[in-house]
Amino acid sequence: MAKYSVFSLVRNALSYHENWQRAWRSPDPKPEYDILVIGGGGHGLATAHYLAKEHGINNVAVIEKGWLGGGNTARNTTIVRSNYLWDESAAIYEHSLKLWEGLSQDLNFNVMFSQRGVMNLAHNLHDWRELNRRVHAIRLNGVDSEILSAAQVKAEAPILNVSPDSRYPIIGASMQRRGGTARHDAVAWGYARAADQRGVDIIQNCEVTGFVINNGRVEGVETTRGPIKAKRVGVAVAGHSSVLADMAGFRMPVESNPLQALVSDPIKPVLDCVVMSSAVHVYISQSDRGEFVIGAGSDLHVSYSQRGSFEIIEGIMGALCELVPMVSRMKMMRQWGGVVDVTPDRSPIVGKTPVEGLFINCGWGTGGFKGTPGSGHAFAATLAAGEPNDMAGPFSLDRFRTGFLIDEAGAAAVAH
Amino acid sequence: MVEHVPLLIVGGGPAGLAAADTALARGGKVMLLDEQPGPGGQIYRNISDTDEDRRKILGPDYAQGTSLLGVLERDGLRYRPGTTVWEVTPERTVYYTEGGQARVVTADRIILATGAMERPMPFPGWTLPGVMTCGAAQIMLKAGGIFAAEGAVLAGSGPLLLLIATQMLAAGARIEAIVETTPARNYMTALAYLPRALRAADYLRKGIAMTATLRRAGIPWYKGAHGLQALGADRVEVLRFTAGGKPRELACKLLLLHQGVVPNVQITRSLWLDHDWDAMQRAWRPRLDEWGETGLAGIFVAGDGAGIVGAKASAIQGRLAALRATDASAGEGAPLRRALSRELAIRPFLDRLYRPAMEFLRPGDGTIVCRCEEVAAGQIREHVRIGCLGPNQTKAYSRAGMGPCQGRVCGLSVSEIIAGARGVSPGEVGYYRIRPPIKPVTISELAALAEEDEPTG
Repeated sequence: MAKYSVFSLVRNALSYHENWQRAWRSPDPKPEYDILVIGGGGHGLATAHYLAKEHGINNVAVIEKGWLGGGNTARNTTIVRSNYLWDESAAIYEHSLKLWEGLSQDLNFNVMFSQRGVMNLAHNLHDWRELNRRVHAIRLNGVDSEILSAAQVKAEAPILNVSPDSRYPIIGASMQRRGGTARHDAVAWGYARAADQRGVDIIQNCEVTGFVINNGRVEGVETTRGPIKAKRVGVAVAGHSSVLADMAGFRMPVESNPLQALVSDPIKPVLDCVVMSSAVHVYISQSDRGEFVIGAGSDLHVSYSQRGSFEIIEGIMGALCELVPMVSRMKMMRQWGGVVDVTPDRSPIVGKTPVEGLFINCGWGTGGFKGTPGSGHAFAATLAAGEPNDMAGPFSLDRFRTGFLIDEAGAAAVAH
Repeated sequence: MVEHVPLLIVGGGPAGLAAADTALARGGKVMLLDEQPGPGGQIYRNISDTDEDRRKILGPDYAQGTSLLGVLERDGLRYRPGTTVWEVTPERTVYYTEGGQARVVTADRIILATGAMERPMPFPGWTLPGVMTCGAAQIMLKAGGIFAAEGAVLAGSGPLLLLIATQMLAAGARIEAIVETTPARNYMTALAYLPRALRAADYLRKGIAMTATLRRAGIPWYKGAHGLQALGADRVEVLRFTAGGKPRELACKLLLLHQGVVPNVQITRSLWLDHDWDAMQRAWRPRLDEWGETGLAGIFVAGDGAGIVGAKASAIQGRLAALRATDASAGEGAPLRRALSRELAIRPFLDRLYRPAMEFLRPGDGTIVCRCEEVAAGQIREHVRIGCLGPNQTKAYSRAGMGPCQGRVCGLSVSEIIAGARGVSPGEVGYYRIRPPIKPVTISELAALAEEDEPTG
């Protein structure tokens, strides 16, 4: 398949861009694969890419019930950062961020990764103390993070209201300058194209209806396009993980909640970093098209529905108008929900399941998009070796039995 | 506290007003939300304020709308004009904006009577300034008695095209020409439905009368026109087309388009209800039971929003839904259903006769279909070539359907184009997933809603 470059752009321009080739094939499933990845979102496709690239395993298929990147990959607020508190999380998210930094080159596909900086606001003394503690802990792990005063916050994002008498006064903020945003669809497409080039079969519109399990060992899956055998199966289906676990006969300590976001009408550039606030439960950035992408809280109820309740959105808007007064006259164009899978300690699960040969990668909660490359990389290593690698090790399903939890409940702007 | 009402009706056209009338007559309490400033919907727009002269211009069918206004005097009705409903949830919570402030109300039963919208008519040049829909011209005529001083060219197909032409004529407007795009073979295929249509001979008589009036006025009338192109530098100057085997060009400053009306399914779609593809009307309609109740108990659809039926049948459907919404017994709907069946006798004939030509359903590659995001038909076909299966994927590929109109304008065209490129029916391709808000809402409106929810002491 052709490499994308300036030369290919010029060559195709000469033929009026009518001869670009398909970015990936659309094969029928083969009867058997070495490794089968369920879920054609960012994580599943990244897993397939790294399996082929890093481990030389090409007899791999990714099966997806809908289309590529149609799930949470298409429904998130595209924020990338690695400022997590605990060593284990810092390791995997920082690994992920490093992969993000070279991802467009690695995939030969522009994922539009923009390191515009991610700012977390502190609104009261408690926030401020916690934020200082986190910044120091994060820096000890070798991850970049800095503290900004209110005046510096105003300089970074002039649209913020830093007046001391506002409802949510801004005392200061932490800033990770290497964080930023990426183009969500491009991530799925880039991984799909790169994996396909290395021989991975990407099979869309193929829903898993059951697992073939003999003597506690997985031998394949039943799908709407017939049975497919596989030596190892990896599940990367985010919000629907417990549904598939149920098919395989075990339970997951995962709750699925709708997480909401909304988009405004487009305006000229006014905000060149990402702003997050835990107190207000909101995160906001401006897309390359000029729309404000606003992430709101997760619903308190458990649901698989890809739509959230409106109470969450409206409750946050008053606070947002105080924080960023100029948004009040902007129009909300779309509101949607994605299903996030949340574990008791708010950290992901990457590793083995009670069924031999069946591996799972889920529970990324609100951190799934930023974790895509790191997650895929660690999961690929785990699937290739049949054992979790160093990075995935601490995120075993077993930790909920042993008690070695990785408590990241305070890591996101959204309480969940 | 969130306000609660037993029956909420969305839309104040014939279906909504008739539904309110029936429910109130049965002792119900009704809240009627309508986006328009006065009752009547599109068909009877401004009916309560229109003087005798303008009624004469708009014709006897329009004047019939006054018979629906009695409902506004009834006890138990809370009529709220000028309110925009932008979200309805399956749990029957309705969010709307009134006077720049968002509000919320819950209801035991909801009747959606949101009516129809004009079918967009994409062809080369349809986005030029000076090109409008006939419906827009009719709104100006009904609401303010306004019509363009310079002559207009009317192009398209459908009974409303003729009606608007006669209304404009009566108002003293100049019509330069009518360019009818109804394909010649439609007249043959529609014949099969003529016997049934004779049961509703009244409609046929009206059609013949309108045609005669326009003929008498000596308006140039081109039939079977195809290959339409609107040309002009900064605005429309020329309409080019082929009719009677000859290429023609008409100078025009105002081009009014019409290609029939289609159900406005934005709210029912946003509720994730089942919709069926109506191959006769080439549009979607929500799946309903014999009363007009949807798959979600307590939510009904009446009128053109459930498939195009016309004003009279819409009113009957409104009454049927209101009967069920006020717990009428099964037998009470029978007389209404008989009347409905009579009114619907004309539909298959009209639907078949005025089925839009393919060039407007699935326009050529260069024609813009999504006006908000400026996506051309050819781009949609290109998406299909590289693996796009349905309209929701086009959003990721080119943002088609993601602009301020929320997909209302391009939805049908995008489904048709994908269906054509894939060689399947639009029913198989599906439609956009419609997201709330149905109409964009400002963030401050939302914030005001949150404040109102807090206890006030």
